[in-house]
Amino acid sequence: MTEETEELELKERLSLIENMIAESRRTTESWGWVFVLWGVAYYVAIAWSVLGNHASLAWSVTMMAAMILTFGLIAWRAARGRHKSQPPTTLGRAVTSVWIAIGISFIVLMPIMAIGGRSNSNLIVAVIGTLLGTANGASSMILKWKLQFACAIVWWALAVVACLGTERQSFIALLIALFFCQIVFGIYGMIREAQGHRRGDYHA
Amino acid sequence: MPELPELNPVIHGKLRLALLSLLSGVEEAEFTWLRAKTGSTDGNLGAQLLKLEEAGYVAVEKKFVQRKPQTLYRMTEAGRQALTEYIQALKQLLGASIGA
Repeated sequence: MTEETEELELKERLSLIENMIAESRRTTESWGWVFVLWGVAYYVAIAWSVLGNHASLAWSVTMMAAMILTFGLIAWRAARGRHKSQPPTTLGRAVTSVWIAIGISFIVLMPIMAIGGRSNSNLIVAVIGTLLGTANGASSMILKWKLQFACAIVWWALAVVACLGTERQSFIALLIALFFCQIVFGIYGMIREAQGHRRGDYHA
Repeated sequence: MPELPELNPVIHGKLRLALLSLLSGVEEAEFTWLRAKTGSTDGNLGAQLLKLEEAGYVAVEKKFVQRKPQTLYRMTEAGRQALTEYIQALKQLLGASIGA
């Protein structure tokens, strides 16, 4: 075997290792649809609280419904077998734990704020900004994903605007943050996921 | 000139290397998932996994889930150490080869 062939073979081995490790970590990127679903849920809650009846219930009811829908869809996808054989990863478990903890915080806070009569819009927006900033920030640091960290910064900025700005300013900032950090980011995640599936599996 | 490292023959096989690399990224994996990711046949995959198990690089757990048999594989500490050393040796060899 010539030196060149040997070098080529060694490089091939190194590339095989990189591809396989990337393949095993791909499972953590299949959550784009959840971002889109929650983005839509927030828009529904905003529309209801501004235009609909029983506005004080808008956030708690919509968040609960989104939560049930999310778990329902996860169970349905698992039953369909798409994620059935996906092995657990430490990264995946870490990211999921962060989002579950944030979800619990929403479940606890939103109804309590409504019941306690502390559901003024600036306060709700500040809570949303802080919680989603924390979740996106932690998640991006675990996954080393700069784009998601940019989303975290947007959410934290929203919390600041909600605390210092007027009701109208925080409302506009919320609509912008939702569009970019939930809808656009979620669709981007789904496109990345679809591209990953189209690329196919690497065969050793 | 420093002595060049030797590559671990147990890991050097293409399929075994792919399997260890896959297992390094997950906590545990089913036989079917490993088969899908490597595109290998049942027989070949089973044989290579057995070699890794005999070397102490992979641990196997067999159980029943909803009355269906399930075989789970996970990388051992020895396997992780061996893969790390293999990658270091590979990089060293490539460095020497590029430098030559």
